[in-house]
Amino acid sequence: MFKNIVFIILTISFLKTTSAQTVSPSLKEESDIYEKIYDAPLILDETQPTPLHELYNTKPLLVVLIFTRCTGVCNPFLLRLKESLQFKAKKDSFNVLVMSFDPRDSIKDMNLLARRFALEDNNQWIFAVTDSIPKLNQSISFYPVWDSIRNQYDHDALLVGVNNEGYITKKLIGMRGGHDLDLLIASVNNVFSPTYRLPNKNVLFSCFNYDPKTGKNKLGLGLLFIALPAILTVLILIVIGFSVRSKASELEESS
Amino acid sequence: MASIKLNKITSVWIISVLLLFIVSIVLGILMRLNQGEVISQSPITFYSNMTTHGLTMIGIWFVAGMAAVNYIMERYVKTSYTVNVLALVLTVIGILMFWASTFIGHFHSAWTFLYPLPFKEMGSETWATLMFLGSLTVLGIGWLIWSISLMTQILKKYSIPQALAWQHLRKNPTVETPPFILISMITLIGVIACLLAAVVLLVLFYAEYFSNGNFVNDALLMKNLTYFFGHTIANEMLYLGLAVIYELFSEVSGRPKWKTTWYVALAWNCTLVFILTAFFHHLYMDFVQPQGFQIIGQLASYFASLPAAGVTVFSIFIAVYRTRIKWSLTNLLFFIGVIGWVIGGLAAVIDSTISNNIVLHNTLWVPAHFHTYNAMGNVLFSLGFFYWFSIQFSDKTKVKKSTTLTLALLLIGGIGFLLAFYIGGAESIPRRYSIYPSELSIGASLATIGAAFASIYFIAILIFFFNISKRCLKILFSSS
Repeated sequence: MFKNIVFIILTISFLKTTSAQTVSPSLKEESDIYEKIYDAPLILDETQPTPLHELYNTKPLLVVLIFTRCTGVCNPFLLRLKESLQFKAKKDSFNVLVMSFDPRDSIKDMNLLARRFALEDNNQWIFAVTDSIPKLNQSISFYPVWDSIRNQYDHDALLVGVNNEGYITKKLIGMRGGHDLDLLIASVNNVFSPTYRLPNKNVLFSCFNYDPKTGKNKLGLGLLFIALPAILTVLILIVIGFSVRSKASELEESS
Repeated sequence: MASIKLNKITSVWIISVLLLFIVSIVLGILMRLNQGEVISQSPITFYSNMTTHGLTMIGIWFVAGMAAVNYIMERYVKTSYTVNVLALVLTVIGILMFWASTFIGHFHSAWTFLYPLPFKEMGSETWATLMFLGSLTVLGIGWLIWSISLMTQILKKYSIPQALAWQHLRKNPTVETPPFILISMITLIGVIACLLAAVVLLVLFYAEYFSNGNFVNDALLMKNLTYFFGHTIANEMLYLGLAVIYELFSEVSGRPKWKTTWYVALAWNCTLVFILTAFFHHLYMDFVQPQGFQIIGQLASYFASLPAAGVTVFSIFIAVYRTRIKWSLTNLLFFIGVIGWVIGGLAAVIDSTISNNIVLHNTLWVPAHFHTYNAMGNVLFSLGFFYWFSIQFSDKTKVKKSTTLTLALLLIGGIGFLLAFYIGGAESIPRRYSIYPSELSIGASLATIGAAFASIYFIAILIFFFNISKRCLKILFSSS
C-alpha cells in the first residue's frame, strides 16, 4: 500500500515537472498582446497619483517590473537595459517606466533606486509605485511568487511594450539583446516588425527557410513548385509541336 | 465555315453564360445593398455570395472567351467538337458542384480561397471544402483539355515559331500568321500554364486535407500558386476577347482585315513572357518574398499590359479615326469594351506600382479596377461576339433606337457603379467588408449608390439576354 502511494506521488511529480518544462517562455511572451494594460494610478512623487494613460498617451512606454529589495535579477536587468538603450537610435520615441510590484516599496525607495543607477535626472526614465499591483500584474500576466524562506519574490525579468493607446504590443522575458529591443521599440511605435513561422518538420515545400541563428532566408524546394507550371507548359508545347509536325510530315511522305 | 454542330454548341455556351451572368449580377447587387445596410445578410451568407459571385464571373467570362475563340478558330483550323462538348459538360458539373459548396455548404473563402482559409471555415458544412476543391478540379480538367486541344489544332497548321509570329520580327516574312492565331496561341499557352498552377495548388490542398496533419503547406508557396492561377486566368480571359476583336472588328466595320506586323508580334510575345510573372504584385505585403520578386512583379505588370494595350489601341484608333465606319452593335461594344479595358488596365497598373500599392492595397480600388476591365471591358467583348454570332443568320445589322437606349443604360449603369468603387478606393475604404463600421460610413453610402447604378446596368444586360438568347434558341432548335 505504502509503495503504491509513493509511486503515485512520484508519477504525479514527474508529470508536473514535465508539463512545467514544456511551457516555453516564448509562448508566455505571446499572452495579452493587443490587450490594454490596466490603467493603474501611479505614484510618481509626493503629489496626487497620475493615471498610467497620461504617461502612455504622451509617449509609448517600455514597462519594467522590479522591486527594490530584489537580490536576484532586478539590478542586472535594469543595468543591462540602461546600457542597451543608451545606444538606440530612436531613443526619444518612448519612455521607460520602472514599476515596483512589491507593496512594501514606496516612491522614496524607487527614487533611491533611480539615484543608484544615475537615472534620477533622466527624463526618459520614470520610477513609480502603485496601490493596484494585482490588477496591473493580471493585465500583463505577470505572476511573481513570494518565497518566504528567501524573503524574496520569484519572478521573471519582464519588459512590456505599451503603445500610446495603451495596448500591449510586445513582451520580452529575460535579459534580451539589442535586436529584440529594436523590435520592442518598433512595436510600441506601431512600426511593422516581420515575424517568421516556427520551423515545422511537416512543412516539406517551403519557398524559403528562415534560419533564426543568422536571421537569413535560404531558398527552399517550394520555389521549384512556382516554376513548375511554366516548365511543364513549355514541355507540353514542345512535345505537341514536334509530334503533330512529325505526324504531318509522315502523312505527306506516305501520300 | 462553322458546322451546324458548332453553331449549336456555341449557342448553348452563350445562353448558359448569360444565364449565369444574371444570377451573379444579382448576387453582386445584394452584396452592395448589404454593405449599404439596405438589406441585412448574415456574414456567412455575404461571404458565400461573394465567393459564388467571384468564381462564377471568372469562370463564365473565361468560357465565353474560349467558346468565341473556338468558334472563330474554325476559320483557320479544324477544332474538336467532342472536346468542346466535354468542356461544356465538365463546366456545368463543376459549376453545380461549386454552387452546392457555397449555397448549400456555405463555403465562403472567396474565389481566391487563400490558404489556409478553406481549412479554417467557420459555420460551413464539413463537406463544403472538399466539394469546393472538387469543383475546381472538374472545371480545371475540362478547361485544360479544351485549351490543349485548341493549341494542338493550331500547331497542326503552324509550327511553334510561326504560331508565335516570330517570322514577323524579320523583314519580308514568307508565312503570314493571322493576328487571331497569334493572340489565341499566346493566350492558350498562358491559360495552360495557369491551369497547371491550379493543378499543383489543388494537389497540395488535397495532400494536406487527407494527411491528417502529417503534411502542412507553406502559406507563401500556396499564395504564389493561387495568384499564378488566379491573376493569370483573369488576364488571359481578356486576351481571348481581344483575339476575337482582332478578327471581327475590321470585318464588321467593313474595313480591310488586320494583319500581323512586327510590333504586333513583339507586343504579344512580351505579353506571353511577362504575364506569367506579373502575379508577384499580389505579394507586395509578403515581406518574406525577396525584394527582387516584388520588383519583377512591378516591371512585369508594365511590360505585360502596356505593349499589348498600346498596339490594340493604336489599331482601333487607326481603324476609326476619320474613317467611314459601318457601325453596328458589335463594333460599338468592341470599341467601348477596349476603352473600358484600357481604363481598368491603367487603374491596375497604378495599383501594381509598389509606392501606390502601399496606399491602395485591399481598398475598394482593387474591385474598382477589375470590375472596369471586366464589366466594361471583357463582358462587352463577349457581348459583341454573342450579338454578332446571333445575328449571323439574320440581316439585322443596323443600330436601332432600342439598341442606343440599351447602350446608354449599360454605360450610365456601368460608369456609376464603377465610380462608387473608385471613390471608395480613393477614400481608403477597405474591400471585402460585409458591413462598414461607423468610422467608414461613407463606404455604406457609396455601396448603396453602387447598387443603384448596378441595377441600371443589370436592366441593360437583361435586354441583351432576351434578345441574344431568343436568337440563339432559334439556332439551337433549327434543323440547318
